[in-house]
Amino acid sequence: MTEDELDAGPVPEDRWRRMHPATPALRGWKVVFAVLLIVWYQIGDNLQDAYRLIDGHAWLYMLGGLAVVALVGVGWSAIVWRVTRFAVTDDAVHVHSGLVFRQQRRARLDRLQAVDVVQPLLARLVGLAELKLEVAGGSGSAVELAYLRESDAQALRAELLALAAGLRQGSAGAASGPVAADGVPFSVEAAPGSTDPTTAPTSDPTSDPTSIPTSVPAAAGTIPAVRATRLTDRIERRFEDAPEQEVYTVPTPRLLIATLRSGAVVGLVAAAIAVVVGVILADGDIGAAFVFVPGVFALVGFVWNRVNSGAGFRAAISPDGIRLRHGLTEARTQTVPPGRVQAVRIHQGLWWRGPDWWRVEMNVAGYAQAANNARETVLHPVATRDEAATALWLVLPDLGVADPRALLDAALSGRDEDGGFLTAPRRARWLDPFGWRRRGVFVTSTALLVRSGRWGRQLDVVPHERTQSLGYVQGPWQRRLGVATIAVHSTPGPVTPRVEHLDADALARLLDEQAERARAARALAGPEQWMRGTA
Amino acid sequence: MTSEQTVGLPFEPEGVEWTPVSTRLAGARLTVLGVVLGPVTLLLIVLAVVVTPWIWIPAGVLLAVITFGAVLVPRQVRAMAYAERAEDLLVRKGIMFRQLVVVPYGRMQYVDVNAGPIARRFSIASVQLHTASPMTSASIDGLPPQEAARLRDRLASRGEARLAGL
Repeated sequence: MTEDELDAGPVPEDRWRRMHPATPALRGWKVVFAVLLIVWYQIGDNLQDAYRLIDGHAWLYMLGGLAVVALVGVGWSAIVWRVTRFAVTDDAVHVHSGLVFRQQRRARLDRLQAVDVVQPLLARLVGLAELKLEVAGGSGSAVELAYLRESDAQALRAELLALAAGLRQGSAGAASGPVAADGVPFSVEAAPGSTDPTTAPTSDPTSDPTSIPTSVPAAAGTIPAVRATRLTDRIERRFEDAPEQEVYTVPTPRLLIATLRSGAVVGLVAAAIAVVVGVILADGDIGAAFVFVPGVFALVGFVWNRVNSGAGFRAAISPDGIRLRHGLTEARTQTVPPGRVQAVRIHQGLWWRGPDWWRVEMNVAGYAQAANNARETVLHPVATRDEAATALWLVLPDLGVADPRALLDAALSGRDEDGGFLTAPRRARWLDPFGWRRRGVFVTSTALLVRSGRWGRQLDVVPHERTQSLGYVQGPWQRRLGVATIAVHSTPGPVTPRVEHLDADALARLLDEQAERARAARALAGPEQWMRGTA
Repeated sequence: MTSEQTVGLPFEPEGVEWTPVSTRLAGARLTVLGVVLGPVTLLLIVLAVVVTPWIWIPAGVLLAVITFGAVLVPRQVRAMAYAERAEDLLVRKGIMFRQLVVVPYGRMQYVDVNAGPIARRFSIASVQLHTASPMTSASIDGLPPQEAARLRDRLASRGEARLAGL
């Protein structure tokens, strides 16, 4: 093989490791599952044929076929596993993969947007986990390390976050040469020693009585390191997890009730009642009812998805940022470092107004490209107003006003000039007959708040330094009424803030000021490596 | 149709010198329109004459579209302009639906320069700015190639000087 030509990189040989050896089995299983799913859909079309198949010996062949598929799947995964390896250096994560088409990926740690530890059901049962790094490089840019031992994944996460925060391993850490990789025992105490102790609560030994200081030197002693054995070795803990403090949890009953009260469910129930009434009126012709079968299936999927992803939702804050834990079958632990949240949306459907519940979502660069973004971008699935305020505080500790709570109240449920919002003029009612009194925008010294929605209420918050660009648009009707719209461009995600139908001249001034404020805020913004402190 | 003072202010910020794009862009766009719709229209007209007069209806619709385009496209192109300010780039377009995009140099992730075969024949190119947001629709079509190259380099160097994280 020509590995050496491609591999001549900055990574010392003995830093490379492989995924857990059980990975092929777990991945292969997915292939079988996919085949079963396809078969199920085929059979679902024609149950009668399926019965005939089971009657004869055909099912034996099918079982055999499935076994072959499983073998091929596992075999292929084993080859993929064999050629995949990764390494962590001080400033990047390197992943080499691919047998036929080689891929080498180097993800810069100072561009790290989020680190997730994901445990699908099966992996969870056997104590494995997948580590996902988002680096905001467009679709497919996430680095996925699957699967690792759960403890390894956590150790690696702590290490990646510490490195991304600007902490370094020991004194020799800056030189990522073989010296650092080989002999230096990366003791836990050494890590914060190189930085200001006040900014490095990462490895406070008292916070975690089970910490590893004793075991680390032992591990370091055994390292003298042949590459082949080290590839699958346990990952030694170089950094402790940052201490975290729980901020809120979501009670399961509330999640269930809230999901059942969501607009889609209520709408379908209403439609179902209408159908039942229709059937009774049509003298028991139930043909019409079948129209609803796909709808019911979709709804069950929706409810399950919401409940499954929101179950056991817990949010905590740590020096490494926001930590979110959730998931029933698939457990997910997300860590979003400080300053990585690009925008927040707090919204409330019509049927959540009674209990005053809110759903809080966020834009994080990188998350939106993932397939199941609806699950990753949730900051709080069902928040009370207090919790919504807390969730916003997690992202934006300083809202830039004297009384943030009053402002938030005005933003969430106020209308017209409540709380000093700049609102849509009365003439905008021609364009937005219901919502015009809620449309409004408020600028604090740190963020832009955009309020909208008459029945389903909505609030978008964008920190000034996270504004990507601004668009000012005006259609023919808007021009006639002297109103306009500003779109605040954020990274891809659920939050797309638009200030609609406000006075054209006022918005033009806002556009100018906002461009200026965004620049000033960027100049003052903290460093990408958040433990480095502002210079 | 419009009162000038309300239109003027937002799309004409003070002290901003707008650079219009090349009028050759209109030629390029009309060529594309002609290449796409011309043959179909001709075919329909021939069919209408030979087969049945009913086919005049779609042919007429297409002819109307082409005429409309011939009138509208030059106006649209004249409405397109950009301006380099000290800290950001402004891109303006649209007559009916007006749009102004403000892109700070520090938010720029990369710059694309594109020129298709027809654009090359008319010796124009387009420069597109990309930020971390896909909604930033800041593309400047119809630049002379030297201007496109100059703008690209200038934007890249300015972006580098003001580089920030996401």
